Amino acid sequence: MSAAVRLFSPRRTQIVARVVLWSMMAVTLLLLLFIVLFVLRRGLPHVTWTFLTSPPADSGREGGVLPMLVGTLAVTALGVAAATPLGLGTAIYLTEYTQEGRATRLIRFGADSLAGVPSIIFGLFGFVFFVITLGLGWSILAGGMTLAFMILPTIIRTSEEAIKSVPAGYREVSLSLGASKWETITKVVLPAALPGILTGVILGVGRSISETAAVIFTAGSSLSQLVPTSIFDGTRTLSVHFYQLAREGISSDKAYATATVLVVAILVINVTAYALMNRFMRRYR
Amino acid sequence: MSAPVDLADGADGADGGDGAPPASADKIAIRGLSIRYGGPPVVADVSLSIPESSIHAWIGPAGSGKTSILRTINLLSIEVDHAQVEGQILLDGEDLLTTKLERAAVRRRVGMVFATPQPLPGSIHANLVYGPRISGVREKGKLDALVESSLRAAQLWDEVKDRLGTSALALSGGQQQRLCIARTIALGPEVILLDEPCSGLDPISTLKIEEMMTSLKDRFTWVIVTNNTKQAARVSDRTAFFLLGEMVEEGPTSGIFTAPRDPRTGDYIEGRFG
Repeated sequence: MSAAVRLFSPRRTQIVARVVLWSMMAVTLLLLLFIVLFVLRRGLPHVTWTFLTSPPADSGREGGVLPMLVGTLAVTALGVAAATPLGLGTAIYLTEYTQEGRATRLIRFGADSLAGVPSIIFGLFGFVFFVITLGLGWSILAGGMTLAFMILPTIIRTSEEAIKSVPAGYREVSLSLGASKWETITKVVLPAALPGILTGVILGVGRSISETAAVIFTAGSSLSQLVPTSIFDGTRTLSVHFYQLAREGISSDKAYATATVLVVAILVINVTAYALMNRFMRRYR
Repeated sequence: MSAPVDLADGADGADGGDGAPPASADKIAIRGLSIRYGGPPVVADVSLSIPESSIHAWIGPAGSGKTSILRTINLLSIEVDHAQVEGQILLDGEDLLTTKLERAAVRRRVGMVFATPQPLPGSIHANLVYGPRISGVREKGKLDALVESSLRAAQLWDEVKDRLGTSALALSGGQQQRLCIARTIALGPEVILLDEPCSGLDPISTLKIEEMMTSLKDRFTWVIVTNNTKQAARVSDRTAFFLLGEMVEEGPTSGIFTAPRDPRTGDYIEGRFG
């Protein structure tokens, strides 16, 4: 015992902990970098302006990804636009308008369970409900709504945590200054919770934009030459396109180029979102 | 010290009550107030009168119900802590517990400052105009004038007049608490409730706040909950001593501190317990 104590003096333990934790961080970072570089190295040389701005030709062997790019952005925007208010409203209700009880625990448990459901199940549900029952057909609308259901739990839970982490003192101060509960929520609680809420939304964007299984059943996979112009048009999203190109062995160059566009799109959206948030927070603090 | 008594109406006068003066002279009159949070009462049958334009100090050990009463006057305990309240709290004769006035309207008349200085995120200016804006003041000139007069009243103007646009969170603790008081003054209240406003502050900041209260006695009726009996002796006109949810005695501060009627009051003031 005493020997062990001497072997791992507090100082030495500290050094070991630091080295181990640093290596874990480094491994994680390297893995991420490796994956991104792997895709970019194969894809980037084939991403040209023409690739971005022209429709596919010859089943995707030639041409570009313009319709898919537009379709992906449309499906994602629709999904996030539908899920964000719904999820945020639910989160506000759960945190501000009810007391902790059986009902809130049930809703939370439901949301957590829903978050773990494989996306292909959401795809199947979307196919049966939106595509068939509501008669929307394979469309951006059906795909967007399915994605909304899929990311709803994430947005609810992250928003909830963000709202909960706003100090109770802020609410009391606001009330004591003559604000109503609703004014307190909109003027104090939500601005303070915004970074957390936005993190949830960004996670939702990331999941939507890269989702394959849920949209292949609902937005379709038809290889259209035309850029979709209505939410009732079907579309093949970038990830579905990549999946088809890779699985059918059509063109690995085009597949990696598509993947590159997807990765860069996610990056651009995230960076923009955080930049906007920073700008807002600077004004708010 | 005794177990909480039955709360049913009937017995009106609390023990130690010195025969309440006529209600018309009182800014706030508390009648038979009991407060519970789903369990046994934490405040039992308290009756108390607070004269207009005076400083009323409430002393007593932790858990004696002072803060609960303060938060109930402001109606926060009912809205936030889900307290069950019985009795009456009369503000100029109108019962706040049954009034048709909106809570926000009551809170503008009875402002509250909390133990922990809590600036809202945002600039000093934004903190001060938060309440007035919600109550409908939109004119920039009016708001700016209100900012200056409130900060002057709270003796903070000279320290912050050149940086009204900077974050309120960057102020020191003592400045933050005076900002919170200024923010309450900006509402134009009649009564200001202070819940241990100096508990985390250095002696100089404490002194500034005490000076400010005394200088503004004509404009507001102050109620200050304090764990510092010396502070009560320094600033207040009248003092009430609370113990275990019960008001033991209340009277002119000089009387409470020199010749308390109840031995428990004397013990507490001299630091024999609590």
